Amino acid sequence: MALIELNDTSKLFGFGDATTLALDDANLVIERGEFVAVMGPSGSGKSTLMNIIGLLDRPSHGVFKLDGKNVSKLRPNRAARVRRDTIGFIFQSFNLLPRLTVLENVALPLAYKGVSLSKRLKMASNMLERVGIQDREYYLPNQLSGGQAQCAAIARALVNDPKLIIADEPTGNLDSAASRLVMELLSEVHKMGNTILFVTHNPELTRYATRVVYMHDGAIIHDEKTALGQVASTAKRALYRLPVTTEEDDLAGVSALMRALPGKPAVPTRKSTRKKAAKTAGPKGTSTRVKRIKK
Amino acid sequence: MRSITSGHVKAGLDSVRGAKWRNFWTILGVIIGVTSVITVVGIGEGIKQQITGQISQMGQDLITVRPSSLKATGSDSNNNLTLLSGLNVTGSLQKDDLDTISKLSGVSSASPLSAVSTNVVADTGKYSGGLTIGTGADLPSLLNQSLAYGAFIGADETDSNVAVLGKNAAAHMFKEDIPLGSTFKINGQEFLVRGIFNNFPATPLSEQADFNNAIFIPYNVAQSLTKNTAFIYEILAKSSSSSNVDKTTKNISAALLKNHGGQKDFAVLKPNENVAVSSGVLNLLTTLITGVAAISLLVGGIGIMNVMLVSVTERMHEIGIRKAIGATNRQIMSQFIIESSVLSVSGGAIGIALAYSIDGLLRLFTNLRPVISWQVVATATIVSLVIGIVFGTLPAVKAARKDPIDALRSS
Repeated sequence: MALIELNDTSKLFGFGDATTLALDDANLVIERGEFVAVMGPSGSGKSTLMNIIGLLDRPSHGVFKLDGKNVSKLRPNRAARVRRDTIGFIFQSFNLLPRLTVLENVALPLAYKGVSLSKRLKMASNMLERVGIQDREYYLPNQLSGGQAQCAAIARALVNDPKLIIADEPTGNLDSAASRLVMELLSEVHKMGNTILFVTHNPELTRYATRVVYMHDGAIIHDEKTALGQVASTAKRALYRLPVTTEEDDLAGVSALMRALPGKPAVPTRKSTRKKAAKTAGPKGTSTRVKRIKK
Repeated sequence: MRSITSGHVKAGLDSVRGAKWRNFWTILGVIIGVTSVITVVGIGEGIKQQITGQISQMGQDLITVRPSSLKATGSDSNNNLTLLSGLNVTGSLQKDDLDTISKLSGVSSASPLSAVSTNVVADTGKYSGGLTIGTGADLPSLLNQSLAYGAFIGADETDSNVAVLGKNAAAHMFKEDIPLGSTFKINGQEFLVRGIFNNFPATPLSEQADFNNAIFIPYNVAQSLTKNTAFIYEILAKSSSSSNVDKTTKNISAALLKNHGGQKDFAVLKPNENVAVSSGVLNLLTTLITGVAAISLLVGGIGIMNVMLVSVTERMHEIGIRKAIGATNRQIMSQFIIESSVLSVSGGAIGIALAYSIDGLLRLFTNLRPVISWQVVATATIVSLVIGIVFGTLPAVKAARKDPIDALRSS
């Protein structure tokens, strides 16, 4: 039984003329133990997909089965409990509570589960040891470096022993060394048997994934399995053709990547956003500068 | 659930500590409300206890007769307070009323209390600290009051210029410690000090009514001093046994009614009724001020609600994070309700502490003896907790209902 099963799942935002289709009949099956990278330009529906899979949002149409159970119409409180017990979140901006110590932050999901104070602090401490920042237990989040903060966030995501870990651009705010640290940590977690779903703009990071899903305008347009340690072949094309200097360039790169995808028309036809993306990406796409991934 | 509650109490205390001044202003309303309720109720309770103490000291068989319509000059009100403190009040009780009461069967003894407007000159100069009271020889036994030195005015001295002093009066009027046998002047006439009272467990209502400051002289002398204008503001009568107090009260009432030609311009009070008169006024006052304080508590509660609403908006991102990692709506709600309760209960605690300090100051600098009972403190604590819960609910519900994605997106 697949861990995640999306069946013609759609998500609409807004009303009337202002309606946007954030997720367009997505079909996706993710098995246990997969390490999935989700790529796509801004506004392509990656975050919406993550929110729906993470039970932070409900799909407008279609079915979402998590661990075999249909969870597409869960009430908020039930959804909160499922989030607590089966899903761990990692965010781009770490999202640690600034007034709690690292240890308390990591112990927080256990608190909502009702674990006693001493027990949950012990569990949190063990988890911090696993991610290698046990010596920072009593620091406040703003006293940590970005990489350490993200490690703490990973510890928090793992502390409830979730079946699924959702990471929304976990390396987006980190320099390349810290990115590497975080991704190595995630891949270790993956080796322990967890299923991980992460969003990235950096094609290089598909190296860690076993599967790469490409999204555009709310639709899943390409889905490829890759070998661990290999940059996904589709991503690679974009990687060597585009300079990767700023986030803006990143986005442009992914837009260019979209045009390079097999079986997809290079000229956008449906949405104005795509036209815009193509326009901005156009001149840069011709650049001959080579990749710049590690500083 | 418990493990999370303790965490939230800590979080609540943290947030109180985090924004000390803002929170102080927030809970000021609660502080003022709690302090004023406790202080006012304490003062009222203290006065009641003092009066009750005096009554029980006087005994359960003491009957008080008072003029019910008093013609107070210079003041429209004729309540007990002016009765005790005012000087130019003419009453309806006369000397023959006293004689009638004394002769009734069932009355073992009776004494008048008659306030005299006087000019007292003693060793230390003019004394204006207390009343001069004309009374009878039975007063000490009626009040169950013992003398520290000397003796009270004897039954055979009703026309002599002798005086017995209250403790404080003696201390103020004379330089020597025990001024027995000394003389002083009232309205130019010389008086001999016959005795000094022990401390009276005084009524605190007015400095002037305090017997510790008073000078006691024979009633007949008081009359002659004032050319028969000294009015009797109270006749104290003792029933021969405590079992027939009710019957004696009725007898006195009937006899006086006859004396006054059927006009009921006097009141005969049994021991308990005496308290009831004073506590009626006190209860009214206490209720009024408690009402005002309740409004202050309400305003304080609204202040807490406003700050919590702001706090919820400010911490939207935190709410989003908490929801994402699995907090249910109820858990978010309880977090904010606990926080507002921590705020309001700290307000209550500060208010209680403040009330105790005010109580101490009152005891030091006035002759009020406020009594803060544990019931009042418990009620204040519970009320402030309830305020926290009631006024914390709206912000908490607002926080709990927030969509997790919107909350996460807000910074």
